[in-house]
Amino acid sequence: MTEPGLNTEEFQVNMGPHHPSTHGVCRFILTMDGEEIVEAEPVIGYLHRALEKICENRTYQQCIPVLDRFEYCTSMSCNEAFALAAEKLGGLEVPERAEYLRVIMLELNRIASHLIWFGTTSLDLGAITPFLYGFREREDILDLFEMTCGQRLTYNYIRVGGVAKDIPPEFIPKCKQFLDTFDAKVDDYEKVLTENPIFIARNKDVGVMSAELAIAYGVSGPSLRASGVRYDIRKDDPYSIYDRFKFNIPVTFNGDCYDRYLIRIAEMRESAKIVRQALEQLPEGEIAGKSTMNYKPPAGEVYSRIENSRGEMGVYIQSPGKVKKPLRVKLRGGSYNQLEVMPELVKGHKIADVVAIMASLDIILPEVDR
Amino acid sequence: MVKQLIDGIKNLVIGMMTTSKHLGRHAVTLQYPKEKWPMPERSRGVVVLLSDKETGKLNCTTCLLCARACPSSAITIKYEKDENKKRQLKDFIVDYNICCLCGLCEDACNFAAIKLAPKYEFSTLNKEDLIWHTDKLQEMGRDVPYEKPVKKKRPAPKPAAKSAAKPAPEPEAAKTDDKPAAEKTDKPEVKPEERKPEAKPEEKPKAETPAEKKTDDNKPDEEKK
Amino acid sequence: MEIAGIFKYLYELLAGSGLSQTWVDIIALVAAAVMVFGVLALIALFLVWWERKVSGHIQQRFGPMMTGWHGWRQTVADAVKLLQKEDITPSAVDRPVFYWAPIICFVAAFAAYVTIPFGKELIVSDLNIGILFIIAITTFTIISLLMAGWGSNNKYALLGGMRSAAQVVSYEVPMVVSVLAVVLFAGSLSMVDIVESQAKIYQWYIFRLPFGPIAFIIYIIAATAETNRTPFDIPEAEQELVAGFNIEYSGMKFAMFFLAEFVNMFTVSAIGTTLFLGGWQGPLLPSWIWFFIKTLALVFVFMLFRWTYPRLRVDQLMEFSWKFLLPVAFANLILAGWMKYSGWFNW
Repeated sequence: MTEPGLNTEEFQVNMGPHHPSTHGVCRFILTMDGEEIVEAEPVIGYLHRALEKICENRTYQQCIPVLDRFEYCTSMSCNEAFALAAEKLGGLEVPERAEYLRVIMLELNRIASHLIWFGTTSLDLGAITPFLYGFREREDILDLFEMTCGQRLTYNYIRVGGVAKDIPPEFIPKCKQFLDTFDAKVDDYEKVLTENPIFIARNKDVGVMSAELAIAYGVSGPSLRASGVRYDIRKDDPYSIYDRFKFNIPVTFNGDCYDRYLIRIAEMRESAKIVRQALEQLPEGEIAGKSTMNYKPPAGEVYSRIENSRGEMGVYIQSPGKVKKPLRVKLRGGSYNQLEVMPELVKGHKIADVVAIMASLDIILPEVDR
Repeated sequence: MVKQLIDGIKNLVIGMMTTSKHLGRHAVTLQYPKEKWPMPERSRGVVVLLSDKETGKLNCTTCLLCARACPSSAITIKYEKDENKKRQLKDFIVDYNICCLCGLCEDACNFAAIKLAPKYEFSTLNKEDLIWHTDKLQEMGRDVPYEKPVKKKRPAPKPAAKSAAKPAPEPEAAKTDDKPAAEKTDKPEVKPEERKPEAKPEEKPKAETPAEKKTDDNKPDEEKK
Repeated sequence: MEIAGIFKYLYELLAGSGLSQTWVDIIALVAAAVMVFGVLALIALFLVWWERKVSGHIQQRFGPMMTGWHGWRQTVADAVKLLQKEDITPSAVDRPVFYWAPIICFVAAFAAYVTIPFGKELIVSDLNIGILFIIAITTFTIISLLMAGWGSNNKYALLGGMRSAAQVVSYEVPMVVSVLAVVLFAGSLSMVDIVESQAKIYQWYIFRLPFGPIAFIIYIIAATAETNRTPFDIPEAEQELVAGFNIEYSGMKFAMFFLAEFVNMFTVSAIGTTLFLGGWQGPLLPSWIWFFIKTLALVFVFMLFRWTYPRLRVDQLMEFSWKFLLPVAFANLILAGWMKYSGWFNW
């Protein structure tokens, strides 16, 4: 953008921690040349809560509510990642009904998280109405969660060894009612945004991430699948009982913001399919109800990972053996890698595109800062 | 180019029609102070102490399990030992500045003494009001329905009880036999049996580990009755 | 119930009261100005409330409900609140420029109503250069935007003000060219003449295919950009880095910018009604009621735009105006000229 003979200077603009579009408290120091961004430096740590250190002083069952807050938009996934790791350590078997309930809750939580993403993306781009439509749908899902475990955001439901409580009898009809209307609602969202020329103009060819760049930075989840890499932990490294369900993995090949949008909309539909199949196959049985306060796994270390709505979520536990509390818990969240790849993606774009790119990568800061 | 234009205009119009379709629909929101959402019965609101329906006494036996289960150390129990070396409750304090409403205390309790009731409107202007003592907790819990725990819920591992408890998991283990994964048949039978003998010796080392959050080091097993 | 008769009667009363003609004229003009100002203030109040209700119901919620029946007193409450706010003037601003910017914005918004016909014979002054006068006066808002941006002594306000001014200037041109097509057909710049040339419903300029609908659509798009509304509200967007030219304004000065935006929206809708939808013509009901119905329908269309579409980036906005709207507007003008010359669709 510089013209020969004209002396221009680069200046720095601070997209500060208090900003309505940074999905949490994230700070960017943008070096601009006129309207274009030359360099972007993210500054993080504003939301650090020392969760890993807290877990070192809590028993395994007490870690679950702590890890609820690791990524509060998909709290069930955080519970599941930790429970899987702890169960792997001790060789615990989870009853069938508990596995099915876990899958139902995980996929419903994935839909809820994608609805938050949908709402905030359109809000950042200026269309305020789809935000409220997404949250209206999410209310139904949160009502389902509330009738099962009592909370709407931080569930403390998936415990080591099973789940906390069985679903009440009114859960299944309400869930089926939600699923029946959900596809039509997603069609509504697509009518408002997907073919909208303004939306396409804001998102197509913006923030293009090639497959090599994505793999080099360790990006995972829908952002990776938008760049053409067909990798989903539910299919490639199955955990729990995901190998019993039939669902597709949407993949696109351009790697721009529009593709990431399309993938997440498709994923919402796939998750609804999984929940339907799980409801049909749900067996009777026990759910490992009363929480085992005295879980003491043998010595060892384990890393287990799951496919979260934002990428790969992993928990590493190191246990000294026969003690109630873990020695070290390390958390891995997908948003961290996506925040790292952002400075590469925003080079050459304008400030308005930073907002669009960050929204499409679906970064949330609690996962970055822990 | 012209097709792009026509598609664009068509989609703009469809978008507008989709949003204006909602103008005819009734709002999905509640006018909060006047209308309130009926909370589901499992809803996790504030912690309350439950009392016996006939006698009005607290069900709590001061076993201190809830205080140990709390991940935030929000429960403080003050007690004193009487002449039979049993604990008598002096004061049960829950600090709502810290309590994260996780429900682990309710899960830990074997006597239906503590529950998370679906009540939620308690914001105040000073922090001291959020530290509740026994009287307020008991009063809040008077109208909360609960089920008295049945004997088989107690995990007390008496040898006689072990043989009575065994038939219960076996039919369920037999059920899981029907499932295709054949290697899973052994483990459900092994797991409950392994757990129960572990329960007793586990209580003793618990008293010795220094990293206890609550000060009491007693063996809760013998005094659970 | 035609109210023009009442005004004629009052004017005759005034003229017959024995004052000299100049005094009569002055008093009549002042009275007309006060009346128009009063009506517009009420309209602005109503529009703010209506926008909040419309946006609420589009989003399946209620909007204001607590202040009066369905919240009709909400704008009054907001105005009283803004009046009580501290009028902060940062120390480093350029005082005269900072102070006069909202005033000029406000005055420009109201001054356009000199020649807008509210009904049959309900116009303050039917200038024979009517529409040209309105376009010239509404251009004053650009000056006030630049003054606000410069006077705030804040680089973000300056950027926002410049962008806003660039946007308004760029969209002024297609708007004028599309209006020109209508003027070409009507043969006169006077607002009353334009309305009267649309005496029957099939004569409304929006229905005069093929140039009418195209001119109308270009006008609507350009008018949305003129009033800084979504999808062209980059200057005011909170989600962008630059929050706009009115960052440093608070209290009553901010209220002036805010109300001026809604009055501007009503102005462009009123012009659109006059030029394309037949003004105050209509059967059965009095003319001023028809005028308000049609204008409020156009305002409703603007509100729907705001609550449905995302916003365009600044360079896309400028590209759209200069590379697309302007050529189409010129082509439309040539088409209109040919239609008038050849007598086709010219009834």
